Amino acid sequence: MGLYLALWTIWFQITAGGDPALGPNKSRSGARNMECERVPVPVALARYPGVVRPPDPRGDLVEREVLICTEKLMDQELRSPSDEAILSNLDETAQEIAGLATASRPELKAATWLVESHTANPEVSAKLSFAAKNAMVSQGLRVSDRTPILGFDDINVITRLPPMEAWPVACRRYKDTGGMGDGDALLATVVLNPKETILHTGVCAQGVWTWLR
Amino acid sequence: MRASLTSFVAVTGLLLLSTGCVHVYQPVSGLNAPVVVDPGARNFPDLKLEVVCNQGELLNRQEATVLCQNAGTLFRNQGAQVTTRLGTGRSYTGAQAEEEDERPIDLTLELTSREVHTFNDPLMWTLCVLSVSVVPALSETSFELDVVIRDGSGFLLATDSLEGRIIKRVGIGVWALEKALDLTREDDEKIAKDAAEQDLSADLYGQLSQMVFNAQMQWEVLQQVPPPER
Repeated sequence: MGLYLALWTIWFQITAGGDPALGPNKSRSGARNMECERVPVPVALARYPGVVRPPDPRGDLVEREVLICTEKLMDQELRSPSDEAILSNLDETAQEIAGLATASRPELKAATWLVESHTANPEVSAKLSFAAKNAMVSQGLRVSDRTPILGFDDINVITRLPPMEAWPVACRRYKDTGGMGDGDALLATVVLNPKETILHTGVCAQGVWTWLR
Repeated sequence: MRASLTSFVAVTGLLLLSTGCVHVYQPVSGLNAPVVVDPGARNFPDLKLEVVCNQGELLNRQEATVLCQNAGTLFRNQGAQVTTRLGTGRSYTGAQAEEEDERPIDLTLELTSREVHTFNDPLMWTLCVLSVSVVPALSETSFELDVVIRDGSGFLLATDSLEGRIIKRVGIGVWALEKALDLTREDDEKIAKDAAEQDLSADLYGQLSQMVFNAQMQWEVLQQVPPPER
């Protein structure tokens, strides 16, 4: 019995103790709330010197890789899945959107860019707009905090249209009503369906709407 | 006397190995991404989807066929019109469906799985068997499922890799400890007999549903993009 307990303790300390998977020291929700990546031993050694055991000079008995797991900043239950999908890689998404705008519409480089975001959660939309504006400024674009405004009648009609049709109509009305000038360009990032976890981006310039993705 | 004792130990060991086994699944990347769609709802009415499963080092032909059938059922239950086929073989339902129905395929979902890492120490397993699983043993398999979604013309709409690990812990002590801990755990935290399979299936089917839904939306948006001027 004593031998068993000793062996058990040793084994547990060596294996399960450091394992990020579900086990005696890790709950199911805790194991799921991790961001993991698998890296070769030399990469792990460079990132975490002293933590990862270097390869034996004569080579390791078994092929080793290192699984690096870090706990997510926010627990999964704290945000809705749709918010989590946008906010978990907000910076990357903002850079991507800004890059897409400059790459696909180079003729608008001198334009004043207005930025709009529409998701299910207004707070998330505000964060997304802010991040997109920052990313565009960092790419050398001129960005305005102004938001194009439409009249009540326009909004009444446009909000009844399916989102795919609403944006081209809104874009045309922005130009017709003077909400956007000739030197303005609007970058809109939208969630078209509440069930999706990706963002779509379109550009409105000279009253013409173009979907970028 | 010695022979009967040896066979008793061997049989007992095998029995304990088969019972004292704890399977654990952990999503590594992609599999625990947020999912908004409900895989039980009709998310794809009128969508014509082709599911292609490639056999490889992780899944043989039979397993790839099962994966395709399960994925097909998943999307059929969500309202899609599904055909399935093996990537390296001839279409076994697709060809027939194409003859009967002239409507082209809207989206193609291609699944390719591979083993990215495995750990299986022979010394540990030998000790485990010889000690009738008093000395515990552990094996680990990490897999990656490459998901590629294209439209009917072959245009790439979405691609992602879903990685997970399956850890098998064997030992009477491991099993007893987990059973004891299960008494203190809440129902959704218990490590039940099929928990690893159920968790993996739930994650995989949730991710596949979400990815196809996203790709469908992307496809609809791209249809609005005018062709480039020549």
